[in-house]
Amino acid sequence: MIQVCGASLVYEDHGREVFACREIDLEVRDGEFLGILGPSGSGKSSLLYLMSGLKTPTHGRIEYQGRALSEMSEKERAALRMQEFGFVFQYPYLVGYLTALENVMIACPDRDIRQESLGLLDSMGLASKAHRLPHELSGGERQRVCVARAMAGRPKAVFADEPTASLDHSNGVAVVEMLVANRGHGSLVMVTHDPKMLAQADRIVRIADGSLVKD
Amino acid sequence: MTGSLAPSTFLLRNAPKTLPLIGVIVLAVMLIAGIVSIMNSIPLSIRTTYGYSKAYLGMTPRGDNEATPKIRRVIETESPVQLERLVVCRVTDMQVKSIVGPWRFALLGLPQDQMLWYIDRIGKGRLEGRLPAPGAAEALVSEPVARNLGKKLGDTLLSPDDSDSFSPRPVRIVGLVHMEPWLAFSSYEYLQANHFPPVDVLIAAAKTPTDQEKLDRWANDRFKGEQARVFAYFLLEKETDEMFKILYSILNVVIGLLVVVITVMMAMLMNIYQSQRLQEFGLLQALGYTKGALLGRALSESALVVLAGWLLGVVCAFGLLTVVRAVLMEPRAFMLDPWDKTAYLYTVPVPISIFLAAALTVMARFRRFDPVGVVERRLV
Repeated sequence: MIQVCGASLVYEDHGREVFACREIDLEVRDGEFLGILGPSGSGKSSLLYLMSGLKTPTHGRIEYQGRALSEMSEKERAALRMQEFGFVFQYPYLVGYLTALENVMIACPDRDIRQESLGLLDSMGLASKAHRLPHELSGGERQRVCVARAMAGRPKAVFADEPTASLDHSNGVAVVEMLVANRGHGSLVMVTHDPKMLAQADRIVRIADGSLVKD
Repeated sequence: MTGSLAPSTFLLRNAPKTLPLIGVIVLAVMLIAGIVSIMNSIPLSIRTTYGYSKAYLGMTPRGDNEATPKIRRVIETESPVQLERLVVCRVTDMQVKSIVGPWRFALLGLPQDQMLWYIDRIGKGRLEGRLPAPGAAEALVSEPVARNLGKKLGDTLLSPDDSDSFSPRPVRIVGLVHMEPWLAFSSYEYLQANHFPPVDVLIAAAKTPTDQEKLDRWANDRFKGEQARVFAYFLLEKETDEMFKILYSILNVVIGLLVVVITVMMAMLMNIYQSQRLQEFGLLQALGYTKGALLGRALSESALVVLAGWLLGVVCAFGLLTVVRAVLMEPRAFMLDPWDKTAYLYTVPVPISIFLAAALTVMARFRRFDPVGVVERRLV
């Protein structure tokens, strides 16, 4: 489904080339839960952003269903992210003046997903808080709203970048369980430094200093 | 964008941020419309106060008190239009009040048989009291003159004690005409016997307003270089325009500066507010909203704020000017036009320049915007 072919991401730091990712080859299969494990600064988030089209590789290519993301226009990549992908970020980013329900519904602005969004919030235990604003929710609840948003519209792949990093252990576990339970037939790619959060992963790859570590 | 991300949603749900922006625009529009309207009230007052000169051509001899018959002959024989009437009268001056101080105002001395014609010529109105008697120290004024001077029927209009509106005998108001135009007259005989200069002046009335203007312009050309002075409405207009030309140039500079100051201030405020929303823009872009859609949304929000501020400002300015006119101006018969289009036209650069400044800052921000920087918390 997603093919990473010799992808590198290089940036300049005071005239020096730094490899965030180095010649990575990786495949995300249909419906699998892929865990990417690595310490802080290892390049795991950069790899996630490359795979989801948020960043473009300096070398190599990323393909989604056989088509290179770098050959797509910015508009096409945006459409891909909106229609095919879901995102959960490290921090529970929500639009501050929208209710929990509206925050879920912004995932698919072109479709009426009100009932689906309410159902997702219900499955996250937030049915009674659907009309609350983000500042009226706890950190764990906010991240659960983010999970609901990522799942809204039944995306083909959900990318989760350290979704448990800003939560305590029990909330973190709950969020991962919700991600797994609600992904349906879609793939889930989760980046974390905590191996315990990947207990349900179908496959785990390790990354260090921008390169995949072979087991 | 529609639904929960419609521009109005942000504006309505963030009233503490939106209202101050709208408030600043409202105040700016009120300030500019107020300044321009008050400024415009001066030429408007001139045109209203001396509007009676639209009804006829006034001619006085210059340097030769005996020249009036000669002027009369020229008008009678050479006038390019048919005359309705040519009246010999006298004139002295009194003072009326204006927002910029006292102004001279003509008090005519009319023959008894011309008085009703003269009132009708200036404008139709109900006469309260009576006409001044020949040779009596009596005067007739129109209602705005009485209101301006705070006088009523029976009050003294000119007096020996009043150096601004002097007459050797107290001249009482015996007649009041209820009409918009300003006029004041006494009898020919009273002015002839009591007022300087001892000069007969002429008022020449054409049959139609078009003919009147033709007559006025003809007289201005015909008597150029002669011992005669022409008083005509088009000359009043010309002098007023010239007088205010420099003042309006200064006004343009002042308002231009005001617009620049307000625009810079508003652009800075909007920039701050947009900066506070980087997280929202970054998140939405990461989720798949295009830069163009987000830019369009930010610009729509700015346009809504600016438009709402301007419209509200125009309404408030109109309300303020109406109140000022009712409370401060009308009791003294001072002119102020709350419907003055120029005043509101002067405010148009405010929303346009604020919107352009806001658009430029937003576009500059979006050009280099990296949503990953936001979701990775590098930018916020």
